[in-house]
Amino acid sequence: MFLTREEEQILAGEFGEGKKKAMELLVALGDIYKAERLIPITSAHLSGVSYKTIGEGGISFLEEMSRDSKVCVPTTLNPPGMDREKWKGMGISEHFAERQHKIISCYESLGVTSNCSCTPYLDVNIPKIGEHVSWAESSALSYVNSVIGAKTNREGGPGALAAAILGKTPEYGLHLSENRAPSITIEVKASDVNYSVLGQAVGQLGGGRIPYFKGIRPTKDQLKTLAAAMAAAGSVALFYVDGVTPVPADTSETEKISIDDKELQSVRDKMSSGNDPELIALGCPHLSCEEIHSLASKLKNKTKRGDIEVWFCTSRCTVAKCKKDLDILSKFGNVICDTCMIVTPIEERFKCTAVDSGKACNYLPTLCSQKVVFRDTDDLLEMIQ
Amino acid sequence: MILTGRKISQGKSQGKVLLCPNPVSFLGGVSPADGKVSDASVNGQSATGRVFAFPRGKGSTVGSYVIMDMKQHGTLPAAIINESAEPIVATGAVMASVPMVDSIDLSLLREGDECIVDGSTGTVELPDVKEINVVSCVIKDGEKILFLRRSSKVGTFQGYWSAVSGFIEVNETPLETAIKEVREETTLISEPVKIGEPFKVRDGDTVWVIHPFLFEEKDCSIQIDWEHTEYKWVCVSETASYQCVPGLDIVYKSLGI
Repeated sequence: MFLTREEEQILAGEFGEGKKKAMELLVALGDIYKAERLIPITSAHLSGVSYKTIGEGGISFLEEMSRDSKVCVPTTLNPPGMDREKWKGMGISEHFAERQHKIISCYESLGVTSNCSCTPYLDVNIPKIGEHVSWAESSALSYVNSVIGAKTNREGGPGALAAAILGKTPEYGLHLSENRAPSITIEVKASDVNYSVLGQAVGQLGGGRIPYFKGIRPTKDQLKTLAAAMAAAGSVALFYVDGVTPVPADTSETEKISIDDKELQSVRDKMSSGNDPELIALGCPHLSCEEIHSLASKLKNKTKRGDIEVWFCTSRCTVAKCKKDLDILSKFGNVICDTCMIVTPIEERFKCTAVDSGKACNYLPTLCSQKVVFRDTDDLLEMIQ
Repeated sequence: MILTGRKISQGKSQGKVLLCPNPVSFLGGVSPADGKVSDASVNGQSATGRVFAFPRGKGSTVGSYVIMDMKQHGTLPAAIINESAEPIVATGAVMASVPMVDSIDLSLLREGDECIVDGSTGTVELPDVKEINVVSCVIKDGEKILFLRRSSKVGTFQGYWSAVSGFIEVNETPLETAIKEVREETTLISEPVKIGEPFKVRDGDTVWVIHPFLFEEKDCSIQIDWEHTEYKWVCVSETASYQCVPGLDIVYKSLGI
């Protein structure tokens, strides 16, 4: 990879250890992916926040990096392993909480905005179309690539942090227009589309393909669900929806398939592995204001039934905007901020969790040892009212 | 011997090679507490302090943090060598300042080799292994090739079947050696019609750097010297059943015969 004189100096350590390490990381990644140069980015979003995932190794890395460096572009943060305020009520140990706070304060001293959400594109970190960015968190980066039309690769946490510190990223993959063409056209011929199931079905096709959907008209929130499910089921980082997202001029050179109700049903049948949920968790990705409003209007004037624990996971930014709706939701369950059912250690309290999220269906069995009950959102609400 | 690869993570260190033939996932595949590698082929050995050589990384991106966790436990490998680096291990190596080089042919390494990895220059040095340049000259006549049996008077591979071969002396080019050896070992005066890409083969404490040459003759008669006891004209497909010098099959392949 070609480096400018200043980039060479950073690599040689002339601007401090943190920047040197960040440059070393970008050069290694750039060489692996055969990038020719570094290009400027306008924002970053970082994963690698939950103590459950990154552990002590992650803390010592962040301590080293935060000693003498700071991010130089607007940078936001993924969910940690607990609600920063109500962690005791979640059954989180003192030790876990102390280490989790340590991680967040390292990121804060690096200059990262501790919004603690997987949906920063809804409020505090909104890229513009065509901008190069460096985002981790598979669901969020797919959303900004696809729905907004910004350009990012599937970054890992440390790579995205290195890019944020230097304000640059190696130019390869989805930063190059020639790699962003759709490769498979998916005609959706289904009467009733659940976007988690559709995302699971298309993600499972695999092969690193870039889907181009026809026959659907998803809302912003449904796009968020679709992006998350496809990223979790099949590492999809970019997709197009005819008439909804920005679409490249030429979409003719693709493989073509169609998906109908029958196929979606057979995918849905495999998404559940349990029967008796001990927890019902909504908000993967984090609930938006619109989703909270919709839940509230369905639960308004209803009374809670049963004693299954219920979580509504969202960001602190969103909570601040919909107090009234959340008052209604609080009668049916806990409004959990910052974290979610995947990155908090729910396995210490529950064995079976019910969700309406395709992404959660993929990760709960592996990361949280859960049996999963997958249902439509309305069916989950039926279980509690 | 020094192998040149690609620099992935800076720094230089030394240790004995721990060779794992399979891709490695640090998450679940290496224990941060004691560095033990779970892949059955390494017999429960620890990667701690070793030059850990494996084809490439695999598995969860959390693997990068596991390498950092090994740093905390003091169980890091001395260095990492890969055939082709991928982002998970590369990221972890840079994070934890473990020297790392990739684009290295692992078939040239042996378990327990003393090894110096320099991630700043992208080189891997095996101080106890010597590198020797040789030519391997195939003489083709129609569909048959000349196949020679090495005598008991030569220094290496006595009794093995081979092509015309010889050490490349200090002041010689490989081409000069090839023409000279063909003349000495067969009495033919000829020039090669094709030169293959040189390649390396590990054999004990030696790495042979073999330079392949193809000569073509018609209805030729030859005389062998003291270096061989007998010769045959055979088809390439017949050679597999003989005890041959290492790398001879690769010579044939690189010459397209």
